[in-house]
Amino acid sequence: MKPRIVVLAAATLVVQRAFGMPGMPALLPHIILPMVWIVAASLIRKERHWPYEALLLGLAWDLLFGPVVGPGGIAWTAACLSLYALASVVADRSPRAWLGFGSVGAAIVILVQRLAEWPLGLTTSLTVENLLWSTLLTGLWCGLVGTALALDFAKHWRAHRVRKLR
Amino acid sequence: MEVARTTTVRTVLVWILLELVAALQVPSTTGSPLVFSWIRTVIEPVVFAAEVAVDFGVNLGLGVRGLQSVMVDNRQMRVELEELRAREMLLRADLEALRGIGAFAGADAEFEAGALVGRCTYRDLVAGTMEIRSAHPTTLRRDTPVVSADGLVGRVIRSEGRRHWLQLLTHAAAAVAVQTEDAVVQGLALGTGGDVLTVAYIPRQAVVERGALLVTSGGDGIYPPGIPTVRVTRVRESEDPFLEVTALATADLRAIHMVLLLGTWAPAEGGSAP
Repeated sequence: MKPRIVVLAAATLVVQRAFGMPGMPALLPHIILPMVWIVAASLIRKERHWPYEALLLGLAWDLLFGPVVGPGGIAWTAACLSLYALASVVADRSPRAWLGFGSVGAAIVILVQRLAEWPLGLTTSLTVENLLWSTLLTGLWCGLVGTALALDFAKHWRAHRVRKLR
Repeated sequence: MEVARTTTVRTVLVWILLELVAALQVPSTTGSPLVFSWIRTVIEPVVFAAEVAVDFGVNLGLGVRGLQSVMVDNRQMRVELEELRAREMLLRADLEALRGIGAFAGADAEFEAGALVGRCTYRDLVAGTMEIRSAHPTTLRRDTPVVSADGLVGRVIRSEGRRHWLQLLTHAAAAVAVQTEDAVVQGLALGTGGDVLTVAYIPRQAVVERGALLVTSGGDGIYPPGIPTVRVTRVRESEDPFLEVTALATADLRAIHMVLLLGTWAPAEGGSAP
């Protein structure tokens, strides 16, 4: 795992934490920002291996947002494996796929985490509305990232700099 | 396929591990970590099943041991029951014999006073001896008369504790002074070593018929008078001055098993009848 990715993932977690701070819009916590990393892993990476990154991400998620450490690891690895399987049957790699994968991943994370917390007696209330908001907003977030990657802003920036230097 | 299976197994194991880690952090209602409660929940049925299995095994062992004990007891009880039945049969026979003896002895108060009941444990009719056992150790004087319900049996020749040896009246050396019931004819019943006795010294002019009962006369100083002794089976005249009389003992020496030992009877002065 590249250090830059680790730093960026940590940054998404920090921002996620910031979304829940008092004074922030109520809809922001519905966005699962780190979801973009497992969506990217399933859509971009050619080589498949057991999702250690998702496990670490889930444990970090538990440390920052959960009452106990463990259910997040289960939920995030489950989401990652599901997206791996989905990516193997879906050929689309467009921003629309990013949006869809983000939504599916968000739903899996939320549902599996609740399921893993259920035997512990820690299950929080989950409404369909909240679930839909989360899948929608997380999907949009992932779609946004996919669009940015598709547009390749870095390439356009480099071309712009070259033209300016001339 | 293999990779997918490995991935699945690894995933499930990791998930279980994570769930256990999470349960370790959650306190249960008792305050201990929830995972301990889970472990107890998993272990308790196993422990319960093990306890039930152990109890079953122990009970089975005890049952088998108990069954063996019951079988052994049952066998012993069967043996004891058979023994008791045999004893009962013997006691019935003894009782019947005692009744007979009682009826016999009751007619003569003198018998009843000092009579000692004995059981025949061994007989040798060829040798003319019999072994009698009494209930309590006692020493009888030599020549103590012995009678049964049917009549005279013999006399004691040796006594030691509970064991008493008799000389039967059929013994080759035995002799009993007898007479007819009306005391008109007197003679001497002599043992021959067999079943038959010879009645000697009966005068030729005496009237003795076949089937006549001869009782003790008391003239020998050993036996009390009036005890049925022999029944005449044959009477024959010869050139001798006495009749040749043969007789059979009235007592069934082959079958008797209860006798009366007249330990305290003593002949009157001069051997006269009591």
